[in-house]
Amino acid sequence: MKEFRMMTALAAVCTLGVTSAAADDIKVGVIAPFSGPFAQYGTQYQQAIEAYQALHGTTVGEHEISFIYKDVGGVNPDQSRALAQELLIRDRVDYLAGFTFTPNALAVGPVITQSETPTVIFNAATSAINKESPFYLRTSYTLPQVSIPAAQWAFEQGIRTVVTTVSDYGPGIDAEVSFKTAFEEQGGQVLDSIRMPLATTDFTPILQRVKDDAPDAVFTFLPGGPPTFSYTKTYNENGLRDAGIAFLGTAETEEVNLQGLGDMAIGLNTVYHYSPAHESEANRAFLTALTDLHPDAVANWASVGAYDGVHLIYEMVKATGSDGPAAIEAVSSLKWESPRGPLEMDPETRTVIQNVYIREVARDANSGLLQNVEKGVIATVGDLGWTQ
Amino acid sequence: MKLRSYSVAGVMLFAALAAFFLFPYNLAFLTRIFIMIILVLSLDLVLGYAGIATLGQAAMYGAGAYAAGLFAIHVWADPFAGLVVGAVAGAALAAVSGVVLMRTTGLTLIMLTIAVAQIGAEIANRMREITGGADGLRGIRPSKILGIWDFDFIGVTGYWYACAVAAFVFGLLSVIGRSPFGLSLRGVHESPERMEAIGVSVFQRRLIAYVMGGGIAGIAGALSAQITQLVSLETFSFTLSAEALIMLILGGTGRLYGAALGTVVFMTVHHLAAANDPFNWLFVIGGLVLTVVFALPSGLVALPTSLKRLSKGDRHARS
Repeated sequence: MKEFRMMTALAAVCTLGVTSAAADDIKVGVIAPFSGPFAQYGTQYQQAIEAYQALHGTTVGEHEISFIYKDVGGVNPDQSRALAQELLIRDRVDYLAGFTFTPNALAVGPVITQSETPTVIFNAATSAINKESPFYLRTSYTLPQVSIPAAQWAFEQGIRTVVTTVSDYGPGIDAEVSFKTAFEEQGGQVLDSIRMPLATTDFTPILQRVKDDAPDAVFTFLPGGPPTFSYTKTYNENGLRDAGIAFLGTAETEEVNLQGLGDMAIGLNTVYHYSPAHESEANRAFLTALTDLHPDAVANWASVGAYDGVHLIYEMVKATGSDGPAAIEAVSSLKWESPRGPLEMDPETRTVIQNVYIREVARDANSGLLQNVEKGVIATVGDLGWTQ
Repeated sequence: MKLRSYSVAGVMLFAALAAFFLFPYNLAFLTRIFIMIILVLSLDLVLGYAGIATLGQAAMYGAGAYAAGLFAIHVWADPFAGLVVGAVAGAALAAVSGVVLMRTTGLTLIMLTIAVAQIGAEIANRMREITGGADGLRGIRPSKILGIWDFDFIGVTGYWYACAVAAFVFGLLSVIGRSPFGLSLRGVHESPERMEAIGVSVFQRRLIAYVMGGGIAGIAGALSAQITQLVSLETFSFTLSAEALIMLILGGTGRLYGAALGTVVFMTVHHLAAANDPFNWLFVIGGLVLTVVFALPSGLVALPTSLKRLSKGDRHARS
């Protein structure tokens, strides 16, 4: 009996992708943090997935699509890989999705290459991930994709001198390097590049240094949450705003924490790919579906990454069912209208080509809530970090 | 005594065999249990036997993981060579830090062990070109074990490999535990002053135990690098040290099978609870730890004794 079960397991794996192609049920395994300090990501993904299914149904052709959620906690590649193996072997999922942190996404690389499982990254933003396996697809963004347009836009606005302040870890350094390179190429000058300890919430000395350098603008990259809150507070209280030093960021005015920032956030400029204030039919439909299901839900980049990721999975199922390589091929240059604007897959980098917007925080006249108002598209770009 | 220890070992090997056939779909998870058992065993040697209070065992685990990973990428992909490199790296870090750390006790010692792990993480973060920084060290592809067994997709090879290494470490530690050296460690634990008085260098004994524990933690780290094929900064994390400590306390310190039992129980409960409720499983873990700490201060290994006393009507059911 035991041997028999083992045999079935082995058989299941050997024929993975062949037998399941005929099945009517398509399963998608979502690996994301659902507990601990990063649980917000998992919640955003799940709400967006439910919103997509509410709008587009749970069936594609004869295939019924279901999602299995697995909690990875935080940065934990061991767990991520073990969960992926379990999902593929026991639950026999046809697609994997989720992945907030780069190491977690990288850890499943060898597994998905072997099982030929298309894996849609909802968030992890290091450019090099997609080089590790041809089965990665990414519907979020990469840091160069937003930092380089930010540098170009700043120069066009007449900003000539900048100080960069980034959190001292992988994504922060990526943001700093790509911003600096692009800004200096334009002919601008980066007076100082400050790397801030990841866990600090006291930015007074750092911003005092920025103020003393008296640049035209300060470019910053911070992980969301408490650091962003105290950074913006210090930016205002230490008189950088009054000194005319412009604020230039990316995800700092992210929607989940935006209301908490209060009036001090008004007027802050960020360069990013999605704002729930985006004016379009697709975005309104997404937001309506989201708030119908979860009245307290707030859409942000993680939600839209998941929403577009599910769209990609639906398109793959529509085209090929669950034949991994064919599915990747089928969507390799797919174009669609997303809540964030027009999107297109780049067949080389397998990351979306998208609009990057310049936004300014303002209070909405009707609801009285703060929002990132898009002032214009400043670039339509793919993963600019691919060749670096 | 001897018969009993053989039967305990037999039961554990049988459990490993049974788990393989009963849960063929969970081999990846079971493999992680073995790796954690090795780490918790190393902590048992350091904390349970020698009484060195540490919250930084992850420092040696991380050092072993990065050393084995880098060795596999740049020098030689042989898994056993990787384990040796991991053990040497863990032992070396333990020796260097231990020279200072083993002169301290109590809170100072705990703080310093945490600091060593933090420094390790920061070095790995800074040396991005070598370690991959926050993205993790990737590209580790261990070659076939003994040139015969390839690391397969379902994790059959990984399972038996990790099982064999865990069994080896367990055997090694039970020999050490019974040797005169092991007994002197217990002496150092229970009364360092008296050991000093009978002419034992307490510092030296503690240092040797710490280095041995570091080597074993390094083996666990190397194993995790080979199985996951990726090393992240989290191998140095405080959470890992703390979780290992919780598993040890859960099972019972100072007894090797307690370390194994605690790890299996903690990780299984964690796995089941997280699978059934990915949002609120931490409550279950918290409840389990609280119950054990309050009801069974000596850990789960003391459960039979406590039950026996309870059934006899002894009011002091605690062992």
